[in-house]
Amino acid sequence: MTALGKLFRTTTFKLTLVYLTVFALFAAFLLGYFALNTRRLITEQITDTVNAEITGLSEQYRLGGIRRLVAVVDARARRPGSSLYLVTTFAGESLAGNVTSLPPGTLDNAGWTETAYRRLDESDSAEHPEHRALARVFQLPGGFRLLVGRDLDERERLYNIVISAGRWSIAIVIILGLVGGLFVTRRVLRRVDAMTETTRTIMQGDLGGRLPVAGTGDELDRLAENLNLMLERIEALMHGLKEVSDNIAHDLKTPLTRLRNRTEQALRSAKKESEYRAALENTIEESDGLIRTFNALLMIARAESGQARENMSEFDAAEIAHDIGELYEPLAEEKGIALKVEAEMPAPVKGNRELISQALANLVDNSIKYTEPRKETANGVPAEIVVRALKEGDRILLTVADSGPGIPEAERSRVIERFVRLEQSRSQPGSGLGLSLASAVARLHGGELTLTDNNPGLKSIIALPRGGPVQIGG
Amino acid sequence: MPSYPDINGQRPFGRIAEAQPDRVAMRLLVIEDDRDAAEYLVKAFREVGHVADAATDGDDGLAMALGGQYDVLIVDRMLPKRDGLAVIGALRAKGMETPALILSALGQVDDRVKGLRAGGDDYLPKPYSFSELLARVEVLARRRVGRSEETVLRVGDLKLDRLSHQVHRGQEEISLQPREFRLLEYLMQHAGQVVTRTMLLENVWDYHFDPQTNVIDVHISRLRSKIDKGFSLPLLHTVRGAGYMIRDGAR
Repeated sequence: MTALGKLFRTTTFKLTLVYLTVFALFAAFLLGYFALNTRRLITEQITDTVNAEITGLSEQYRLGGIRRLVAVVDARARRPGSSLYLVTTFAGESLAGNVTSLPPGTLDNAGWTETAYRRLDESDSAEHPEHRALARVFQLPGGFRLLVGRDLDERERLYNIVISAGRWSIAIVIILGLVGGLFVTRRVLRRVDAMTETTRTIMQGDLGGRLPVAGTGDELDRLAENLNLMLERIEALMHGLKEVSDNIAHDLKTPLTRLRNRTEQALRSAKKESEYRAALENTIEESDGLIRTFNALLMIARAESGQARENMSEFDAAEIAHDIGELYEPLAEEKGIALKVEAEMPAPVKGNRELISQALANLVDNSIKYTEPRKETANGVPAEIVVRALKEGDRILLTVADSGPGIPEAERSRVIERFVRLEQSRSQPGSGLGLSLASAVARLHGGELTLTDNNPGLKSIIALPRGGPVQIGG
Repeated sequence: MPSYPDINGQRPFGRIAEAQPDRVAMRLLVIEDDRDAAEYLVKAFREVGHVADAATDGDDGLAMALGGQYDVLIVDRMLPKRDGLAVIGALRAKGMETPALILSALGQVDDRVKGLRAGGDDYLPKPYSFSELLARVEVLARRRVGRSEETVLRVGDLKLDRLSHQVHRGQEEISLQPREFRLLEYLMQHAGQVVTRTMLLENVWDYHFDPQTNVIDVHISRLRSKIDKGFSLPLLHTVRGAGYMIRDGAR
């Protein structure tokens, strides 16, 4: 595509053409109307003048008969720029006037006529072309005829001047319009080209690129600003994705390496059947752990991407607190920890029951894992975990409070952050993704997971909006 | 450390087989496009005493399922030619009610719901352990017998009355928490069959997630202390590497 072709194809240029056409048509219509009206006005003036003269001349005839009329006509006909006059007898014989070579029969009918003529003083037909005149033939009493007319040349000249002026101005409008259109189009095109150029570099992988903003606040600027916001969001997401894949790589590769090493070592050094057996059992255990981690990662990814939003329904959060409490109570008791549930009132909430149960289960599981069983008498604090479901404004809170070591304040936000948990909990049993999943589930529901101090111990709070997640952009 | 089936003998799953001497041989059809996996399953099922065939695509699987008298179908979700859900749908449309277990790499809750809605009777996400699959398949095969309608369940001298919610061992009444009652009820419904931890979590608690720590074990040991403690003959057994089973040990 040539540069000019590109110019002609732009929206701006097409718009220019449309405006130009509309404007030119309008101008032509206006000028045409003006020309026709001028012509009509002049014709009206001519008829008025001619009528007045005929009235005057017939008055002269009435007062002084044909002699007086001829004298008056003669006098008038000689004035420069005079009207056209002709007085004839009944037989058509010219008595006075300044007109000749009228087409035969012109005088036969009384009334208005448009006719060709020649003035008496320019009888040479080769030198002077015929003129046209608007004339009125008047029947005088006594058989005489009187013709009074005005030359039409002036009218035609004026008409022609207007028409040609119109043509010129339309031509100028079109030329200026085209030039202006091209100019504006080129300016717009240059900005669009700059944007295209930036987009191309972004597509080639430079996510830091941003579209130029001219600062004029026009529609192109607004578009560029919005696209820049979108680019920022994409960059953040890409960054998150990279972080996630790095963490996945780390979290799956570590156990995979361990698994491979142990298998290799068994192959190399195991001698007895029982040693092989132990190695194989270990392999299965390790792969089960991998599957668990993998499932947890998938679930977090799904929750984060909002895919699980479809399966939401109304349920009672207090019931979930009781159910999860009941599920974990024997485990806690076995470890010497008292697990209590405090959820008296129904706490209806909209969400994914399964996911919220799992999030709460993860928090309880964590608390059981990290709370040390203590003799009730030792420093007076019994080892206990309290699961609560309560209403707070338009939110439902599911809390798990333990009397364990807690998490130092500086570490708390870091722990919730995506996958940071992985780094610290490598030595602990389980996938170590419990808090990450709980946090992802809370965010999926438009809520959040917060960790606070339980003095002593840790208090984890899942806060959920009662009506479920608010639709973004809704 | 859990113990796994004996790998040295000719029958790696022999130990599971031994745990259930009263096992009834079943006819099974495995529809799975991964030949290795299909072969492994067929072999493993045969080793524990069942008869198993394999089909490697949806069309063959459907034809075989329609022709053969199978007790349970094991259907992979994603199959060439006709996917697993479509195979089950076609069978159900023809009025065949053979229980079907869906195997799938998609393990999320909504995938599971979709699978069950399409006519599947159970859903097991990949990767699975054979003992889990076997336990579920046997439960599916046995479900047709209609034990779930009985109002009084008996195993040895243990009696559970589903209407009055009373449990007796011999003459002695045993008091159970509601959840313990449901746990025992489920185990007794499947007396003589291996019931896995995930099956218990799904059917007694209605949860489909992995609780990480083995919470079920603690519930079982509580239940065991109530029904078996002080009696000479234990009824609630742990099947190593698989799950639990309630069984009249005298037989």
